[in-house]
Amino acid sequence: MFIEQLLGLLRAAGWTLALCVSAGVAGTIIGFLLGVGQVSKIVVLRWITTAYVTVIRGVPVLLLIFFVYFGIPVLFAVDLAPFLAGFVALTVVAAAYMGETFRGAIQAVPRGQFEAAEALGVRYLDRTFRVIMPQALRIAVPSLTGYLINLVKDSSLIGIIGFVELTRAAKILSNLTLDPLGAFLMAAVIYFMISFTISRIGVAVERKLAPKSKASSRKLATTAIPAGN
Amino acid sequence: MNLYFGDILPYMGELLTALGMSFGITIASFVIGGLLSVVVYLGKASRVRVFQILASGYIGIFRNTPLLVQIYLIYFGLPVFGVNLDVFQASLVALSLNNASYCAEIIRGGFESVPRGLIEAGEALGLDRRTIFAKVSLAPALRGVYPSLVNQFVHLFLTSSIASIIGLPELMHAVLEINSQTYRSIEVLAIGALLYFASGFIISLLARGAERFLFRWAVNA
Repeated sequence: MFIEQLLGLLRAAGWTLALCVSAGVAGTIIGFLLGVGQVSKIVVLRWITTAYVTVIRGVPVLLLIFFVYFGIPVLFAVDLAPFLAGFVALTVVAAAYMGETFRGAIQAVPRGQFEAAEALGVRYLDRTFRVIMPQALRIAVPSLTGYLINLVKDSSLIGIIGFVELTRAAKILSNLTLDPLGAFLMAAVIYFMISFTISRIGVAVERKLAPKSKASSRKLATTAIPAGN
Repeated sequence: MNLYFGDILPYMGELLTALGMSFGITIASFVIGGLLSVVVYLGKASRVRVFQILASGYIGIFRNTPLLVQIYLIYFGLPVFGVNLDVFQASLVALSLNNASYCAEIIRGGFESVPRGLIEAGEALGLDRRTIFAKVSLAPALRGVYPSLVNQFVHLFLTSSIASIIGLPELMHAVLEINSQTYRSIEVLAIGALLYFASGFIISLLARGAERFLFRWAVNA
């Protein structure tokens, strides 16, 4: 009985993950473009991307979800399947928050890095993608994982527009079993484990991207000096 | 598609009243949660192992589960223990507990940025423990994290919209209600979005003004 209920919730958690992974990927790509747009030299582009990020971040996620859910059928005369509506809504939100993260990360790369690359005659594209971006990405990782956890939490709101993800499934289960405490506690534990896993992965990625430790670079330096001797 | 805001006009009073409710629940849960967060922080910084575990567990649980699940647990789950909260009480409790977990982490950052020497100076001057905590530790800590606390306030204001799901008559709830009465979805949602956005913007502006007044004692402002 309990196992059955748990399996049901885990299946719904699969849909939560499907929503978050798809919206997370799409949101990161669009967010990256928004981040670049905000530091662009083109004024119009900077203006539009900054406005998008500021407005989306200044409005409740729940309201944006309803906006997509009610708005898209009216604006584009298409009916969205619940999953698609959830995906679009979460992507709209994720892109804005990721855009802000990427902007901050790009601006956190010391200006001198860019100037040094310029002085060395590195081409603009190489300067951007091989000097600035790798460093910016490293700076962005902790906030990106932090945001992914928020995305998982925000996805609980997609149940409100009718898509059966984890929270909605827990609500349905609680109506069936008349045990809301059990149902929502199980959901909370599953959410906690998802968040915990994401933050672990984040730490691992951070460690992988971290510049080589001082010890190893010192070793490099000491092996390099005798060669010049 | 044609937009027509005229249908919404008669409901403006309703929307503004609901906005007042949004502000009310946000301020109340920010104050309660803020006070609680200091207690949680003290637990985390305490030397007693049990307090540390309790405080860390509290922060971890509330930051890693959705607010909606927390609201459901409090509103639908607590009656199992005979604790029946009405919509307002349940929203207040959920938002306060949620806010406390976020504020505790913010405040921790603030306390950790207060130099140890400042507290030692306070001890050397013979101040009692309570004065040292309030004036030498807490005040500079709050000043350091004031911008983050303002952000958290705005964030709480926006997330309080989730309380509409259990029926708290705040702004989001009014927007949905008016939507089902007028079928002017885009219009009413746009006005709702504008009210949320403008409120958040005004809060930030006022907070920046208040910062100068609140921390006028600071030597190097």
